Amino acid sequence: MRPSTKALVAAGSGITVGLAGLALTTLPAGADDDPVLPAIEPEALVASALAAEPQAFSGEAEVSNELGLPALPGTEDLDFESARVFHDGQESARVQVEKPTSEVTFVKNPDEAWAYDSQERTAKHVTWDDADAAAARKHAEAQLADPAQAAAEIIEQLRPTSEITVDGTARVAGRAAYELVLTPKPTEKTLLREVTVAIDEQTRMPLAFDVYANGRSEPVLSLGFVALDLGAQDPALFDFTPPQGTKVETPDVGDAAGHRAGTDGAGKNGAGKDKAAERMAEHGTTTVGDGWDTVVIAEMPTEMPTDMPSDMPSDMPSDMPAGMPEGAFGGGQDLAGTLAQIGQPVSGDFGTGTHVQITVGGAIVTDDGRVAVGAVPQQVLVDALDQQ
Amino acid sequence: MTAPDLATSPSLDPDGVLPARRRAPLGRLLRSELRWIFRRPRTLVVLALLTVLPVITGIAVDLTFDGAAAPDPTAGPGPGGGGPGEGPPIFVTMASSAFVLPLGSLMTLLMLLLPLTVAMASGDALAGEQSTGALRGWLLAPVARGRLLLVKAVGVLVVALVAATLVATSGLVTGLVLSGTDGLVSMSGTQLSVGDVLWRLAIAVAWATVYLMAVGAVALAISASTEHPMLVVVSVLGGLIVSGVLLQISALDWLHPYLLPTSLASLADLIRDPLAFDGLAEGAFRSLCYLVIGMSLAYARITTRDG
Repeated sequence: MRPSTKALVAAGSGITVGLAGLALTTLPAGADDDPVLPAIEPEALVASALAAEPQAFSGEAEVSNELGLPALPGTEDLDFESARVFHDGQESARVQVEKPTSEVTFVKNPDEAWAYDSQERTAKHVTWDDADAAAARKHAEAQLADPAQAAAEIIEQLRPTSEITVDGTARVAGRAAYELVLTPKPTEKTLLREVTVAIDEQTRMPLAFDVYANGRSEPVLSLGFVALDLGAQDPALFDFTPPQGTKVETPDVGDAAGHRAGTDGAGKNGAGKDKAAERMAEHGTTTVGDGWDTVVIAEMPTEMPTDMPSDMPSDMPSDMPAGMPEGAFGGGQDLAGTLAQIGQPVSGDFGTGTHVQITVGGAIVTDDGRVAVGAVPQQVLVDALDQQ
Repeated sequence: MTAPDLATSPSLDPDGVLPARRRAPLGRLLRSELRWIFRRPRTLVVLALLTVLPVITGIAVDLTFDGAAAPDPTAGPGPGGGGPGEGPPIFVTMASSAFVLPLGSLMTLLMLLLPLTVAMASGDALAGEQSTGALRGWLLAPVARGRLLLVKAVGVLVVALVAATLVATSGLVTGLVLSGTDGLVSMSGTQLSVGDVLWRLAIAVAWATVYLMAVGAVALAISASTEHPMLVVVSVLGGLIVSGVLLQISALDWLHPYLLPTSLASLADLIRDPLAFDGLAEGAFRSLCYLVIGMSLAYARITTRDG
């Protein structure tokens, strides 16, 4: 071979191989064809999913959030993209929410719960004995990043008010799964179109869910595993000792009251089975309606009026339970000013307030300090407030 | 085409002894190449500078924040810039600890200074020698072009390895002096043993070397096509800056997996616990793709080059 030919061959094949390799990294994992699975009745699938044995697993979850929450200061915590989830198949779980340069770690075991923030170098510690509002909150915060729990919660909450169908199959995190579709019954006054949940064929564990709003083809919220390994996990993962130099907070009752608004929604949705949830119900949160058009009405704590922004994310899950990040960030922003910028005045029998619209719903903040939130049209919020 | 023909013709010689004797042993070639590289004052100056930078960072952070508090990570400057909205990963847990300081320094320097060091070595390797006429000796010597490129590539590889090791070691030593074995904490809040930290640092150095070698391969390809070493450094600098700008544009998401600096973010995974190798492996694979492209182009260019 002449040197020039040789050179051409070397350059050509090298570039081809290199570019092909680079293109390989752009392919999403598990983009194979939909698996062929035996047909199943929707009700049977739901029943088996809810009755599924908890699995021990480690997985990586990714979230995409197009909810269009107003860019309020303090809501950055919604912006996580991926999380690592470990579960021992029983009561212990570890969720590591990964951010580009930091991480928030939640560890839950039968005795206690920890939330560690590497950026702030703070840890919140809760023991189940004195299960207070904060316990429910931690519970919900960890839950939000675990697709399996969040999706199971959604199915349970929306089941009575939904038409349930099985729409084919999909491959999620390399596993064969059924696509369960929950559509609101015609009587539901919601802005949501449907929720799809991918349920693992073998373990019947929910692997991913997508929330669709009316008039949009792309999901407004999706959360799902991109990698999943079943199998026993190292027990050490479910113990947590705060590293030296960490500021450990043990939320007490006063603290819990301060974060009341934030915890109410979480207590109701995420930690329904906890005693804490019942306690939260006494804190002035009421719900109007059920299923898709649930409206949550909470009273804003007077001492912390700026907690409102965190309310919206925390209370929205009334329709997508635990599916959305929850948090009481408690920033120090000028609430009235922010509201005037992003909302519109609204009035009704209840008085006057400000309506804030997001992609899948809205919130009304009344002038007398109540908040009504739901994935519903504005009128439903007003009606709910009027009923109260 | 006379020069390559001359270079390859002795192997066709029917005399069995002659070709074996006329081939210069690879080991000797490598030794002399490395001697040349590390005799250049600029190599030594740059390496010394790279060693000093983690020390300065460590002392500055230690003095400013007393080594304990983590400052606001959004306020820190990031030379070259990471992804959108990213502060330098150096400030994640305890910035002056023997774990975070070497890793953070490595991440920061990998954005610009380390690639430039490698580009400089690559520029000197072919273009530099061409401009001083030294390459002519190589091309006329009984050394096949492929072997010549191999020797030069190994030279660049050694520079990359030495530079990455120096940065990590200097950061480690500075961290140990400033904070002892305190603060060996992952982002996930777990305490790491010294052995674990060393293991993670070793992975970081190895990964950084692969990344730098990818830059070096592309630089060698440019170096083989020009006789101005400055052009090599400028091209690499330009490429890095353009990649950095493209990475900031979220509308070009589809392009990002093709850009080499995309991989850099995955180095932060080494501070997480338990270790996840997915991102690092993908980054290393991306580097290897660039390595293949760069080396094949360099090979094509050097085999057709006239002495």
